[in-house]
Amino acid sequence: MSRKPLVAVLALVLLGALVLAGCRPAAEPVIKIGINAELTGDIPKVGEGTKFAAELWLEDINKAGGLEVGGKKYKVVLAIEDNESKAESAAAAQTKLITQDEVLVIVGPQASKQAIPAGEVANNLKTPMISPWSTNPRTTENRPWVFRACFLDPFQGPVIANFVTQEFGFTKAAVLYDIASDYPKGLAEFFKQAWEQLHGPGSVVAFESFTTKDRDFSAQLTKIIASGAEFLFTPQYYDEVPLIVRQARQLGFTKPIVGSDSWGSAELVKLAGRDVVGLFFTTHYAAAGAKGKTKEFIDRYNAKYGYVPDDVGALTWDAMLIVQKAIQDCGQITGDLAKDRQCVRDAMARIKDFEGITGKMTFNEQGDPVKSAVIVRINEQGEFEFYKSVSPTGQ
Amino acid sequence: MDTEARGATAAGPRAAARRWTAATRALFGEVPAFGWLLGALAAVLAEYFVGRPLARALGIGRIPLLFGVDVALRDPWLLPGTVAYMLLVYALPAAAVARLSVTVARGITERLLRLPVGLSVLVHLGLLYAGLHLWAGINDYRLLVTRLALIAIMVTISLNVVNGYMGEFSCSHPGFMALGAYVSSIITVLFFVHDSVLGPPLLPTAVGPFLFPLALIAGGAAAAVGSLAVALPSFRTRGDYLAIISLAFMFIVKSTIENVQLIGGSRGFMNQPDWAGLPTVFVWAVLCVAVTNNFVRSTLGKALNAVRDDETAAAHMTVNTRRTKMVAFVFAAFWAGVAGGLFAHVMRYVNPGTFGVQKLAEVLAMLYFGGLNSVIGSIVGAVGFTLFSEALRPLQIYKWIIIPVLLILVMIYRPTGLIAFREFDITRLVKPREKPGKVEHVAAAD
Repeated sequence: MSRKPLVAVLALVLLGALVLAGCRPAAEPVIKIGINAELTGDIPKVGEGTKFAAELWLEDINKAGGLEVGGKKYKVVLAIEDNESKAESAAAAQTKLITQDEVLVIVGPQASKQAIPAGEVANNLKTPMISPWSTNPRTTENRPWVFRACFLDPFQGPVIANFVTQEFGFTKAAVLYDIASDYPKGLAEFFKQAWEQLHGPGSVVAFESFTTKDRDFSAQLTKIIASGAEFLFTPQYYDEVPLIVRQARQLGFTKPIVGSDSWGSAELVKLAGRDVVGLFFTTHYAAAGAKGKTKEFIDRYNAKYGYVPDDVGALTWDAMLIVQKAIQDCGQITGDLAKDRQCVRDAMARIKDFEGITGKMTFNEQGDPVKSAVIVRINEQGEFEFYKSVSPTGQ
Repeated sequence: MDTEARGATAAGPRAAARRWTAATRALFGEVPAFGWLLGALAAVLAEYFVGRPLARALGIGRIPLLFGVDVALRDPWLLPGTVAYMLLVYALPAAAVARLSVTVARGITERLLRLPVGLSVLVHLGLLYAGLHLWAGINDYRLLVTRLALIAIMVTISLNVVNGYMGEFSCSHPGFMALGAYVSSIITVLFFVHDSVLGPPLLPTAVGPFLFPLALIAGGAAAAVGSLAVALPSFRTRGDYLAIISLAFMFIVKSTIENVQLIGGSRGFMNQPDWAGLPTVFVWAVLCVAVTNNFVRSTLGKALNAVRDDETAAAHMTVNTRRTKMVAFVFAAFWAGVAGGLFAHVMRYVNPGTFGVQKLAEVLAMLYFGGLNSVIGSIVGAVGFTLFSEALRPLQIYKWIIIPVLLILVMIYRPTGLIAFREFDITRLVKPREKPGKVEHVAAAD
């Protein structure tokens, strides 16, 4: 049996590879930024928003001919990884971005379920990471390398309680939330705590829960109506809110319904139609009536992708700009990855009064931003209209 | 293989392929498992020492992590370089060492054969681990993927005991994993870690790694006890009923954990100590494979097959069907629990949401991809599926078109999985191979 063909194939492949390797231009220094997003799985819309916002940002950088650091322009490359909305996949993607793609800094993952294990990896491997959307305190807790771009639930809860008290003068609240999902549950508890601090124990007259993917809330709503609550707070996602609101109205609940930042999706009005007009919720930014940089971002995003960006998109945009500022503040790219990552992390921690489209941010020692919340009203056109801004230092 | 086939078109591609197979068999047929392990070790050593400069010379820059698929998918221009790398670093050294060491390997295996089989197996495992350790040591990502693949092997094999050997359709494995994960995590955190909720450690942290196996066993035991909750009411029935009850069990476990505030509820539980390194996971995976393999080949295992094929007939053949099923189910749950415990300590964070329908689908896919009623099939399924879904990462969403299509193809052409209904005989594996005389003859005539 001749073995000549095998040898020939081997030689050919090797030769081809070497020729190709020779043809490729010598690698110029680039800045690699990792994106760890939920592109598939439970929340693909979140991943899509992340990707689109990041690519929009890259467009700007490319238009400017690269990212200028210390008087030198660097080409920027995005390494986008899908974490499938799974904790273990998020950790694997994060490890891959850090060790194989050798990214300088990572944006994402968005949801806390993914951001907590990914943050562990980033912190252990000493790579700066910023999660635009994760609200669980544990994502950044005791992790000097991990930051986030959104406010936390312990802040949002009191904001809602204060707003309702001042705006409507109510004293009896009802809460309906998903006990199986960490975000609604956490926020519901923080709200309850804040409300009871304002109005005394027992002022949350109904604290009802359901489980993810439940579609019939009539039992809980009947209890809420019977409890005599003056309004309903429901920190749910855009796919559940329309059902809750519609069923509440059908059962004869005519009082206000208030929501949280998870309402902030263009899908909400599409699904709920007129039912949600006039309702209030807290969020990171208001799309309708936005001015300046915020409007510019919304218009560009809308023109390119065909819909008004959700808060995830806006927060990712801010995260990208924070990353850009940190890299530029760092002053130089030495090529020594460990040194550059340290430099970028330190620069990020130093950021003060950063003017993002979702508000002014300064990082505290945990890597969480101190920033304002926005209260929006859903207007007659179904747009999210700016109503009021609440700063963390008080009203 | 393609060039070879083209070179021999006169005899038709089929004949050429046959001749090629014969030639390969003549060359490598007598290489024992020991020789292949030596070859693999040589390949990994080659990568360890010359991988980086070679990758740079071939223009791929870095060592391709998962056999080059990720590199080639990201930039098709690098395909020749990646193929060359794979040939030079993996195929060539492995084949050369395996072939050249035939005499030595045979000598060693024969000598080992005079010692107890267990010792021989241990030597083989040692070699396997050395190769794996070096391979995974190149990069943290490989290390993580290897550990996750080993854990996937444990879960898949334990599920195979129920779904394959016992022939029932159980959906509660994520629930068992969750029980194991939480119980072992609570034990390690309570005893050895300063936690904000569970307080200061009850025992000195230094003894922790030694008591870690006990925590894992406790996790497995918890899963085993939990499995009784499914087994006791449902084993009077068969088929769909068990599937439904076990599915319900999975949701009960998930919802229960979500509602227990002390362990974080739906926010998850973290701070597990970093004790599940590659050696630990490897030892547990080997233990699981060995014990399960012995179990399914024992009288009890054969009784299990009898129950699957015809429960009434088995009962008439003096098989205690109820006890047999119960033991197998509890056994499978135990290993799923241990795997869950390891998973929690690899991730160092668990969340009840992880152990839901998605996990179930993943484990079932691994099982049916690899093959029912086969330990080796489960290993292939778990490793193959894990590597596939990692290597195809650059395709992003399209990955979830390719993997299901692959599964459908497997189901069409091999309805019971890739390597189904095959016994995994370890003692035969460690024996020296005989010279394939007949094939030798064909090769000589060529």
